[in-house]
Amino acid sequence: MHGRVKIKSTAQQEEEKRKEKEKKLKAFVSARDAVLKKRSAGEHDEEALQLTRQLLSSNPDFATLWNYRREVLLHLETLREKDEVQKLYESELHFIEACLKVNPKSYGCWHHRTWVNTRLPQPDWTRELGLCDRCLSLDERNFHCWDYRRVVVKASGVSVEQELQFTDRLIGSNFSNYSSWHYRSTLLPQLHPQPAPDSAPNTKYELSHNAFFTDPNDQSAWFYYRWLLGRAEREEMISCVYVSREGERVSVAFSKPLCKVYNMYSLFIHTLMHKIFNCLCQLCDLPPGSISDMSNEHNLTIHWTEKHTHRDCNLDDLHVCVCICGRSELSVEKSSVLQAELQSCNQLLELEPQNKWCLLTIILLMRALDPLGHEKETLAHFQTLKEVDPMRSTYYSDLCSKFLIENTILKMEYAEVRVFSLSNKNLTTLCHLDQLLFVTHINLSSNQLLRLPPHFAMLQCLEVLEADDNAIENLEGLYHLPKLEEVSLRNNRILFSKKSKCFIRNCFSGVKSQCLVWPCFKDSVFFIN
Amino acid sequence: MGTQVKDVVIKPEAPNTLLLDKHADYIAAYGSKKDDYEYTLSEYLRMSGIYWGLTVMDLMGQLSRMNREEIIEFIKSCQHDCGGISASTGHDPHLLYTLSAVQILSLYDSINVIDVDKVVDYVKGLQQEDGSFAGDKWGEIDTRFSFCAVATLALLGKLDVINMDKAVGFVLSCMNFDGGFGCRPGSESHAGQIYCCTGFLSITGQLHKVNADLLGWWLCERQLPSGGLNGRPEKLPDVCYSWWVLASLKIIGRIHWIDKAKLRSFILACQDEETGGFADRPGDMVSSLWNCHIQFCICIYILHVISLGLAILYTELIILCGTFLPVLYISIQVDPFHTLFGVAGLSLLGDEQIKPVNPVFCMPEDVLQRIGLQPDLLN
Repeated sequence: MHGRVKIKSTAQQEEEKRKEKEKKLKAFVSARDAVLKKRSAGEHDEEALQLTRQLLSSNPDFATLWNYRREVLLHLETLREKDEVQKLYESELHFIEACLKVNPKSYGCWHHRTWVNTRLPQPDWTRELGLCDRCLSLDERNFHCWDYRRVVVKASGVSVEQELQFTDRLIGSNFSNYSSWHYRSTLLPQLHPQPAPDSAPNTKYELSHNAFFTDPNDQSAWFYYRWLLGRAEREEMISCVYVSREGERVSVAFSKPLCKVYNMYSLFIHTLMHKIFNCLCQLCDLPPGSISDMSNEHNLTIHWTEKHTHRDCNLDDLHVCVCICGRSELSVEKSSVLQAELQSCNQLLELEPQNKWCLLTIILLMRALDPLGHEKETLAHFQTLKEVDPMRSTYYSDLCSKFLIENTILKMEYAEVRVFSLSNKNLTTLCHLDQLLFVTHINLSSNQLLRLPPHFAMLQCLEVLEADDNAIENLEGLYHLPKLEEVSLRNNRILFSKKSKCFIRNCFSGVKSQCLVWPCFKDSVFFIN
Repeated sequence: MGTQVKDVVIKPEAPNTLLLDKHADYIAAYGSKKDDYEYTLSEYLRMSGIYWGLTVMDLMGQLSRMNREEIIEFIKSCQHDCGGISASTGHDPHLLYTLSAVQILSLYDSINVIDVDKVVDYVKGLQQEDGSFAGDKWGEIDTRFSFCAVATLALLGKLDVINMDKAVGFVLSCMNFDGGFGCRPGSESHAGQIYCCTGFLSITGQLHKVNADLLGWWLCERQLPSGGLNGRPEKLPDVCYSWWVLASLKIIGRIHWIDKAKLRSFILACQDEETGGFADRPGDMVSSLWNCHIQFCICIYILHVISLGLAILYTELIILCGTFLPVLYISIQVDPFHTLFGVAGLSLLGDEQIKPVNPVFCMPEDVLQRIGLQPDLLN
């Protein structure tokens, strides 16, 4: 019978293994000791190369030996003519290639090869590219090889187009190709740097689209596609500006914390410049009186110099100006491309109703096209997602919460009272608080929130908070809300810390001038620590 | 015909309780038989090996079983004139082992047995023009080394000696389309590198530069049906990724995106009930014969290169991949590396039998509190 291998008894097998290992160990130790002895004697000769060759072939991660080898080679360089040096290092390349055959994933081997090419009088980049091709044909995911390839490409001036074609070939072979998609993601921006939001070269979707249609479980293509969809989105640095002439207040909310300031950035209001020194804050309150001399002005422009961005505000009769970044409008061209993509994905979903990648991508496409119009469908898809991919339910819940918050922000109306209401929506997380700077009333009741995060402090205009029936443990977000008047937190899980008790006490004792209603106490579930 | 999902199957007999005492015994005895084959062959990473062993023992509350004096003397003998520290005597200094040594001495609260100023000079001297760090004087660049550099300096309270802006700039230039990070600019995202880069950004106070939602998604997609985590798409799960992926998620505030129960089961299944210790994957000590009378015995000695590039371990693994033949494991070998990361992963998942572990430094939280280091984590 073919393929039958005798399996020896365990005891015998163990003993043979043990003897074998003992033998190997002895050989290793004596070779190692010989090499290290030679090195401490400062000997940089052929014998050193031989001894290290022996050891490195089967122990390529023994880094010190590569170092020794380099010392020997550098020394030999000084003794030889240029053409001999060429030969010396070419033979070194052969040796490294032999090592790579045994272990194609040794950092030491690849680095040594990179180093050798810096010493070679005449490196042969074509040969090196060939080595990469061969190595990648054996293991397309070998990141050492990909990194080495990038070195070779850079040194030899291979074109971006050529490399894109290379990735095309690899992706076409339809097998474990995340590394190729990744490489594409670095090559494409070299050809097409940051596309304008309304540009729509539909060929860019084609490759990944074809890939996941051929194999809907090929996750790499879906990851890449998600990147393409998000690529043209521009994130605004300034989320919100709130101006109150009466309150003499100008607050600017940023979408991200400001950089730790090693240089200073500037915020200009109209023509007046205010230097911002704060680190890691997202909300800037300008000093009172910043706009006092602008009583006759009706327009206000805020410039943020780090990103050369600005916001224009119109001061209305109420002397309150609110402006937030809107979504960038889709061009007709882009819209129709995305519409076609959505249609195809829906067709795929009919064939593969349990395919989570498809479901998620459809959600993302719908959001790109019309988040409000597709809200109901989106929620249904999220439900399906949680069923077909339960390990990631918390991710989907958080993502869904984020999209619901975005939709609510889109629907908000700006009047004297500005209400943000998202109750009973299975919210698991809060985000985009920087865009709620001016909200006066918030209703988050009947959700699954665990906390009011520190970023809640962005809600500088908040007067009324309703957040009953959640699982909130922490009140930290409430400590710095200057306008807060009414709070309802029934049926939560508030852990009363020293700080939170102090906060509540101050509220009741009237240290704060507002009247704080706290109807939750007797109904709350709370733990005292 | 679609792409097969590479994964393992956890057998019902796999361990499902935490065998801490066995692991402590395993580590305590490890290295006492100095003529052990694997032990000798891994000499080139000895300093890291010691760090792994000591850290896991400390997490289990068993640090006192290790030979403190011997280890401290060993470390002293490994500091070179340049200030850098090597993996073992006679080996060359490197950032990897310099960090491990400083971590060990921090555990033992004995940092001053080495010349600290020289260590600082050594680390500083490895920073390049573009902000990156070389591992040693031979110039290999890798974001792992950026992490080693700032972690070392943070433990010594000397972060201010390097060019922080450039260091941060370099690491950020390694951020990819998927929100992850690779070794160098342009390198593919990999969980080990992501751990190093998020750890780096935490130490340097720059976590807000991470796209936490995007990266968090990529990281939670590392979880496979078996519950285990892989290091990048289409790869097999490995217990060490339970650390690198999980710690990264913790740092960026998205650890709740993992199915914790399933991961815990996977990690526990990687224990070896006989010898103690954890292996990279769940194992089965007995070779079972298939009922079709064909015994395939493909012995592949796979040199398992762990992402931090620190270990080659001999794993005897027999893999039969295919539609009809599920993965078949013969004997698998445990090691201190996987033992640490299995235990540390369980700690991050909230196991109360284990001390809390710091996700940035992979050291007990109480040690870092003593030093006064509390790196930022995202909410």
